[in-house]
Amino acid sequence: MLIPPNQIKISLISAPEFNLEYLWWLTILFFVLAVIYFVGVFVIRNRITSKNSRTKDKKVEFSPMINEFLFYEDSNTKEEKMNYLNLKVQIRELIKNNFDRDVLTEVILDLRKDLSGSSQSVLIDLYQDLGLHNDAYEKLRSGKWQVVSSGILELTTMEVEDSYGLIIKFINHRQSTIRKQAEIAVVNLKEEGIKYFLDNTKYKIAEWQQLKLLDVLRHKPNYTPPQFALWLTSTNTHVVLFSLRLIKYYNQNEAEQSIITLLKHKKREIQAEAIECIKGFHFVNALLTLKLVYTKASHDIKIAILDAIGELGTTAEVPFLENLQLTERNFNIKSKVIGTLNKIDPERILPTKNIATSDFYDVELEDLTPKVENDAVDILEEVPLHDTINEISTEIEIDVEGLKDSTEIVSSDESEELDHQNKETIIEELVDEDLPEEEPIEQEVLLVDSLSKPVTELESKIELEAEPKVQQIDINKVNSIDDIDLSFLPHIKSDDSITENIEATTTKINPVVETEHEEQHKEDLSLNFLPFVVEQTSVEEEILTSEKEDLELAFVLDDVSIQEEQEEKSKLNTNKGPEIMIDEIDWSSVHTNTEEQTEVIIKDADKKEAMISFENDGISFSPNFMRKKELDAMVLLENISELGDCRELILLYQIIEENNSDVVVNRANELIQKFSYQSPRPNELFSNDNDLTNSVFAEVYHLADKETRHMLLDEMMVVGDSKEIELLESILESGSKSLVAKATEVLEHIKTQSALDIETTSTSIDEDSIFNLDFELELNEPAEQKNIEPSENGSTLFDQLCSMSNSLYNKLNG
Amino acid sequence: MGKSVLLADDDQLLASLLNFRLKKGGYSVHHSANGKEVKEYLKNEMPDIIVSDIMMPYCSGIELIDYVRNELKSKTPIIIISSAGNEQNVLTAFELGANDFITKPVSPTELLVRIAREINK
Repeated sequence: MLIPPNQIKISLISAPEFNLEYLWWLTILFFVLAVIYFVGVFVIRNRITSKNSRTKDKKVEFSPMINEFLFYEDSNTKEEKMNYLNLKVQIRELIKNNFDRDVLTEVILDLRKDLSGSSQSVLIDLYQDLGLHNDAYEKLRSGKWQVVSSGILELTTMEVEDSYGLIIKFINHRQSTIRKQAEIAVVNLKEEGIKYFLDNTKYKIAEWQQLKLLDVLRHKPNYTPPQFALWLTSTNTHVVLFSLRLIKYYNQNEAEQSIITLLKHKKREIQAEAIECIKGFHFVNALLTLKLVYTKASHDIKIAILDAIGELGTTAEVPFLENLQLTERNFNIKSKVIGTLNKIDPERILPTKNIATSDFYDVELEDLTPKVENDAVDILEEVPLHDTINEISTEIEIDVEGLKDSTEIVSSDESEELDHQNKETIIEELVDEDLPEEEPIEQEVLLVDSLSKPVTELESKIELEAEPKVQQIDINKVNSIDDIDLSFLPHIKSDDSITENIEATTTKINPVVETEHEEQHKEDLSLNFLPFVVEQTSVEEEILTSEKEDLELAFVLDDVSIQEEQEEKSKLNTNKGPEIMIDEIDWSSVHTNTEEQTEVIIKDADKKEAMISFENDGISFSPNFMRKKELDAMVLLENISELGDCRELILLYQIIEENNSDVVVNRANELIQKFSYQSPRPNELFSNDNDLTNSVFAEVYHLADKETRHMLLDEMMVVGDSKEIELLESILESGSKSLVAKATEVLEHIKTQSALDIETTSTSIDEDSIFNLDFELELNEPAEQKNIEPSENGSTLFDQLCSMSNSLYNKLNG
Repeated sequence: MGKSVLLADDDQLLASLLNFRLKKGGYSVHHSANGKEVKEYLKNEMPDIIVSDIMMPYCSGIELIDYVRNELKSKTPIIIISSAGNEQNVLTAFELGANDFITKPVSPTELLVRIAREINK
């Protein structure tokens, strides 16, 4: 229904009525207020200006008078003396006026700041002569804090000593400005002021105030400071803190025990200051307390304590610091601990972080020391040199008395070699009894210790000589085999590396081993020493993983030697006997050969080889042989041990099936057990978060040079799979043109391969994938009972690495 | 008439006091309260020695040294007065050719001795 527009009524907003008269009145009111304001400002401004002008004039008037007073001399003429007297009368008349008094006071205070010497003294006397200090006393009675404060300042500036008694009342004034001004005045006016202040102050002494007080004391002429140690017992902690600082400033080192006690103070500032004092005064007795306090100290105090220990400590503090190094979690403190250790015992701890592995420096090392490093060097450096070995400064020569002189590997006769084999067999047996096989890690540690101990304990001298062919070893200081810790042998056995260990201990070594090199080898420590007998090809594989060029093999087998393997074994068994005593070894008779082409030649190839032969209380060493298949398997197992992981389990089971040798089977079982412990769940193994899903080439690639990168890309072409795609894509983004081209090629190849694999693989994998099951491998299941078929392609991580290393080696050797 | 001294300082009280002391010491003193006045004075007359505060309106003591040494090519001795603790000013002043440097608070007697020494060099 529509309403006609004429019927719609809208009430309009109506403005209230306003009386215009009010508006006029308001305007007049604001105008008057504005006039009053501006007049007020003008009047006040004029008064201030006129006052300043009057003050200026008065200053100009007073200035010559003061000059006359300041420079009046008895030698003046009569006229000058008369003038002086007139001025005195005149000025006394003038100061009867308050304004004049204030101006005169202001002038004198200004001049006091600019003058020194005798003029200053005269000025101070004039101030008091004119009685201006009485005005300052009046100010002290004022209720306004700013007036009181200015009064104290005036009396302090004009050095009115009589005011001391009045000012000390303000020491504990609740108004901080008055209190601080009074503190400065008390310390300034009288020598004993500092004592009164430290005795009586109840309030906090701010840092800035401490500095000002110290500045006052410092500029006091002929000041003899009191023994500030008296206030170390103050109940006001700020007094204690200030006293400690004064003690340090004035070198008052009498209060040793008090300062040491203050290390246990609850306040950090006092602890820190006490530590500073201890450090400054070299209080060695505080070391024990410092160490006691350390555990409950705060972060800053811990660092201060470590700093103090670094200053005062001796090597006796090293165990404490080493313990801290292990237990301390805070990065800063841990760094400080290491710094302190190195301060006490320089270069005790060497850099370990981000130090590249030895193979990273292969080329450089080769250039620097082309021929010095031989087999023995490598073996020595692979030994995890304990810190103590650093202390061996020169050479260590090991010689076992009573050993047969003629036991040289290079020229030993058949019977001697058999004896060597016998002895080694005995050692192996002993070792087997001593150490359980289930503790491979502990064995490694034992090996580390055992290798370092004999060297240090015997005070031996190792001489590593860079002789081109023969290295001779003298062991003079070992009286019997009992002196030598042979606990390292289990490891040697397990890794088939006894030969090289023996070499390591018997080789005459000239250890000019750079620290850096040593560290690298510590990092690279793998206790996989060379096996008893190694084929050249297998040796080369090992060389490639470490320092290929530097490693010179101790032994190289010719074909004849390998063919005689079985015969040697039988002889070895016939010579085995527990009755042979390993009492005395003539290590000097042991010789090794080194050649540039990583070959070791047994001079007398016709001789029968035996690992250790014993003859007439002597011992000699020579290589031992396994069957080729067995040897291959062992080498493979050792490489798996070093490089492999749970993914090699299938391969290990395969090795067990293919080999009948007990040694191989046992070793394989060990590794199965080891990897079973490490075995992640299959789901985890192939999860995106797991590193194992990443390309094995990635790390090597980033460390490699351009040529090697090309080789790696070739390898990827052959063995790569979808895991390499990410790496290849990154190469496409950042690599050089040739690398990009190569990477593109490889990427396309891998993608094609992956597509083929996906097509050929059954789609049921996803549905019934074994990896979807949540299970773990059984740890103690005998390997023999398992019938797991190896993968068809056998492309495990280890296979890929082996293949890659072979290719690299072949490439490098043309 | 004694040797003439140009005293350049904007602090009236100190200038008055030093003026009094120097006159009493036998010197003829001309006081200027700012750098502009000093330069005007130096254009007309060269004193035997200049004693100048380092902080002045219009022209600092450092600029004054530079003006005297490089523009006026004068070897008139210059003694600079400054507050303590401004090492850079001291070094700059000596680099530009100041002969001596006195820090406040000043001993008028000491200043007199230094002036005498510089004039008699």
